[in-house]
Order: sequence, then C-alpha cells, then structure tokens
Amino acid sequence: MATQQLTCDNADCNFASDGKCVEGYEIRECPHMESLSLDDIPEAEESRTPLVKPETTIALASGEALDRVDTSLLQRRNVSRSIGLIGPNDAGKTSLIAGVFDLFQMGAQAGAQFAGSSTLIGFERVCHLARVVSQISVPHTERTSRGAEPTFFHLDVHQEQIGLISVFISDRSGEDYLAANDQISQADQFFEIRRADCITLLVNGAQLADSKLRHEVKATTPQIVDALIEAGAIRRGCRLAIVLTKKDSVMASTNRDRVERDFDGLVASISRAHSASLGEVKSFVVAASPKETEHVTKGEGVADLLLYWLQPNIPVASISVGEFPEFERMIDLLTDTEGWK
Amino acid sequence: MTGERHISIMGLPSSGKTTFLAALWHMIRETGANTELSFDQLSEGNYEHLNALARRWRFGLIQQRTQVSGARAVTMRLKDTDGRKAEVSFPDLPGEDFSHMWERRELDKGMLETLKAPLVVLMINGDTIRMPAWVAEWTTLAKKMGSKPANKEIVEWKAEVAPTQVKVVDLLQMLMSGDLKIGGRRLALLISAWDKVEGEGLTPAQVLQSKLPLLNQYLQSGRDPWTWEVWGISAQGGQYEDPDKDENFAETEKLRDLERASDRIKVIEEACISSDITKPLKWLIG
Repeated sequence: MATQQLTCDNADCNFASDGKCVEGYEIRECPHMESLSLDDIPEAEESRTPLVKPETTIALASGEALDRVDTSLLQRRNVSRSIGLIGPNDAGKTSLIAGVFDLFQMGAQAGAQFAGSSTLIGFERVCHLARVVSQISVPHTERTSRGAEPTFFHLDVHQEQIGLISVFISDRSGEDYLAANDQISQADQFFEIRRADCITLLVNGAQLADSKLRHEVKATTPQIVDALIEAGAIRRGCRLAIVLTKKDSVMASTNRDRVERDFDGLVASISRAHSASLGEVKSFVVAASPKETEHVTKGEGVADLLLYWLQPNIPVASISVGEFPEFERMIDLLTDTEGWK
Repeated sequence: MTGERHISIMGLPSSGKTTFLAALWHMIRETGANTELSFDQLSEGNYEHLNALARRWRFGLIQQRTQVSGARAVTMRLKDTDGRKAEVSFPDLPGEDFSHMWERRELDKGMLETLKAPLVVLMINGDTIRMPAWVAEWTTLAKKMGSKPANKEIVEWKAEVAPTQVKVVDLLQMLMSGDLKIGGRRLALLISAWDKVEGEGLTPAQVLQSKLPLLNQYLQSGRDPWTWEVWGISAQGGQYEDPDKDENFAETEKLRDLERASDRIKVIEEACISSDITKPLKWLIG
C-alpha cells in the first residue's frame, strides 16, 4: 500500500514547519492541502530494476575448433577417422592442420573432395599467418598452449567410390606429449590418442637438418612413441604415419642426405620396436607451410597423408604378432620428386 | 507452379542483390519482353521501392546500398508461359546481415523466416572474389623478380579477411543446420558482374571450379541436400554511374543507347547467353 504525506501549495503557509494552516482550516478541509504519494516520487536511478530485453538474435555455431564433447556428437553422424597428431613442440602440427585445409582451398585432392566443416573459423585462424593478407614476411603458426585440453578440427571429405568420411584432427601442445617422456602417467590424459584411428608422428625436418639439434630429435621422437605404447595410450593395431615436416628446410640444407638416413633410421627403429602393437607404419615427407616455394610446392606431400588418414584400419585379428609392419624408406618416397635430386 | 513461393536472395555486401531485383522488376514489366516468367498483375502491396530501383537501373545509375535496418519485402505476381501463376516474394536484405552471420556468429531473429525459404538465390560478385594467397608463393615470386618483401605491420586475424569461398560455404552450411534446417532446398547460384568476368572465356561452372573451388567441392559432394545450378549474370551489362560522384562513362552511354533497356542484361547458362533474367527463377520455382 502506498504511504501518503501531506503538503501545502500555499506559499505563505508554514504547514511544513509548524503543522498549522495559515488560513485556519482544519488540515483535512484545507483546499491547498495535497496528498503526495511515495509512488509519485521517482526512484533513484541505481535502484531501478534493469529491463530485461527480449533476445533478438540467435546464436550460430562458433566455427571454432571443437572440444571433446562436440567432437563425440559429430562423430556419430558419419563414418569417421580420428587422427592423433603427436610430436614435440615446433614439429609443425598446427602448420599441417592449416596445410590440409589450404589444399582444399585450391581444389579436390586425388579424388578427395571437401564436403564441409564445422570448424571453418578455427581453420581460418590457423591459416592466417601463412596468408598474404596477414602482411607477415615469413609464414608462421601460433604455438598450441601447453596444458590446454586438446581441440579437434573437423573436415568432411567425399570420395566417389567410398562416400563421406568425417576426419577429426586433434591439436594438443607438443610439450604435453614430451612430458609423457618424463612421467609416463601423463599419457593417461591423452584421450585423443586412445581414440585415434591413425597416429601421426611429426619429425621436425628443419631440426633434423641442424647438426646441433639432430641427435635430440633422433632421441626424443621415438621416446614419445615408446612412452605412449608403454602407457597403453595407443590402441592395438592403430596405424602410424611418421611424417618428416618442413621439407623446404631440408631441401635448402647441405645435410639433406644425412636427413634422409636419419629419418629412415628413425622409421625403421620405431617399426621394429613396436611391430607387435602397431598396425601399418608408413612414412611421409611434407611441406605443409613452406617459407618459400623454390624447391617445393606449397602443401607438397599433404594430399598423400590425407588419403592415408582416410583409409580404414586393418582389423586387429589380422595383424600377425612379431612381424615387422611395412614401412617405406624415405628415399623411395622421393624417387619421383624432382626437387629433391 | 501455383501458389505462393518465397525466394530468399542472399549474398555478401555488394554482390548485386538489389541490382538483380531492379533489372528483374524492369524486365517483367517491359512491353514485348520475351521471358520464361512474366508479370501477371499488381497486388495490394506497395511497389514504391521496386519502382524506385527499376527507375535508377534504367537511368544507368548504381543502386544505393540496401539500408542496414531490416528487410524490405518485395512481392511480384508472376506467370509462366503456360499461364500458371505464382506470387514470389523476395526480402531485400542488406549484405551486411549475411557477413555478420559469418563474422559475429549470430543471426537476427527477424531474418529467420527469410532464411528458411526453400528456394534460394545466392549471388557472388565475380569481380570481387577474394581468393587465398600464400606468403610462401609471394616470397618466391618477389625473389625471382629481385624485390625484397616490405616489412609491414602484421595484421591480426579477423573473420572478415577470410576468402569469399569460405564465407559462402559457411553461410550455406548454416542454412542446413540448427534453427535454419528445413531439409532439401533449391539453390540458384548467380555469379554477378559477369561483364567483368567474361573476358576470361570461362563458363559459369568453370568460374566456380577455378575461382571458388572450395564452394564447388562442397556443392558437388552432396553432403547437404542442395539441388543447385550455376549461372553467370550481368544485370547491368556494364559500368553504371554514381550520381554522387558526377560520373559520366562512355560505356554507360552505350548501354543507354541500346534499343531496349533489357538488352543490357546477360544471363549465361553453360554456353547459352540470353537476356532473360527470369530463367534462374523459373528453374527455382519449377
């Protein structure tokens, strides 16, 4: 109920101070007396309850790289392949992700067509620093944050005889994978590796060409695989793609023959050590985001890797224990590559 | 082909949506025009907007940017050569509304009905397609030409700098998901400003394949249920003048000299060229 106060509109009346009517009326009978409702007094600005505006917009999907939950939901929609990208930091994981998307920007790849993606904003973000529009002078990709949950990039790919396959490529910091070398229990958190159909291990070609860094690369790269298998993080029969990245840096190096030998040695030793656990082991050489295109073409080797990702896994029962998985020597991969000679 | 048909005209800013509407409204009312769809009768609606667009188009003046405050509903009663009638409505939405869908990832509720139309005209300006260009290739080219790349301040990523084909693919994906999902739709893809593109000697399908390969793959793949066709279209036939800049072009004058105003229009379907701007709409309506 509104509380009421009395006020007098006669300027000569002192009712407000002495409570008496200057004209001698009973207060209730005075014609100058007005009642003032508290409801009439505007409330202070700050105490006003803010008006709730009706929602006028509808939120659309963010287009960013997906989290674990959204990836699981999408994986139920089509036949899918999960790709676990592993490798030390600066091995070129994000560049490879950008390189796969950029390939489709140029056209279909060996019969594989882009059919859609829920992560176009995410792809565009990672592609930016290799594009002229960024005004950067040397292509670059942002480093994935250490300790952050992995994210997934999504591509739907259509092949004439096969149909539609959804590819999900995981992106986690290389430092996190290296940490599994120090403490094997770290590997427990790598759910993206456990669910992968194809693990893709990246070997930094630029570092392998560098005399100071090559032994570190040769030592730590197989150790990551050792730790993941030891921890049971890689499922039995999983295919392994071992990818030499930054082919442009290798080509520009005077040590490229040595890089070939080192890389072939790495692939052979991983194959030998884990033949009982892994399915096929295959090696690739890529220039996903080269600094220049004098000796390589942009995206060289990436289409072959993509086609490999799209292949189905061999059923576990048909993997014969104790037999070496197949792998190709790097020199075999390069025999038809003019630029390497 | 009877009843009410809603056609949504979509496209990023400056893709030629309003010019298309202007040329269409002129042509279906032009005496003696031979078109697959023709004007049937006026309805109760207000034709002031359409008449103003057509008048400007006839003068050879560029259209003013569509106001950014909401859609203007435009309705035309059309009939085909067999006399079957349809009322076709085209909301004239500003291109900014579509670019905001890509950049801000949100949609004004007022657009919902428009964007749920089962028949879609998507316009892409063939003269302003932004294609991705890579630093690595430019660096090599610059090196060969003996020039050093200039040291410029790095431009931070923002959604608006994305290639045209990425934006358009996402726009089409949005129409096939969430609140906008209505099932299969028909899509007339019009590559506008064809007078600027035709010098390359490509068909519309070849332009789609060479300049918008990501979009071409997306549509060809059939992941989303689009029934689609591609046309090249020049709704002006050449350069129009901007009265605010006091422009006077010989090319515009030449267009004005044509016998019929509709002779300016070029519609390209594979190797066939005509001036019948209603062809894509007839295909959409069926």
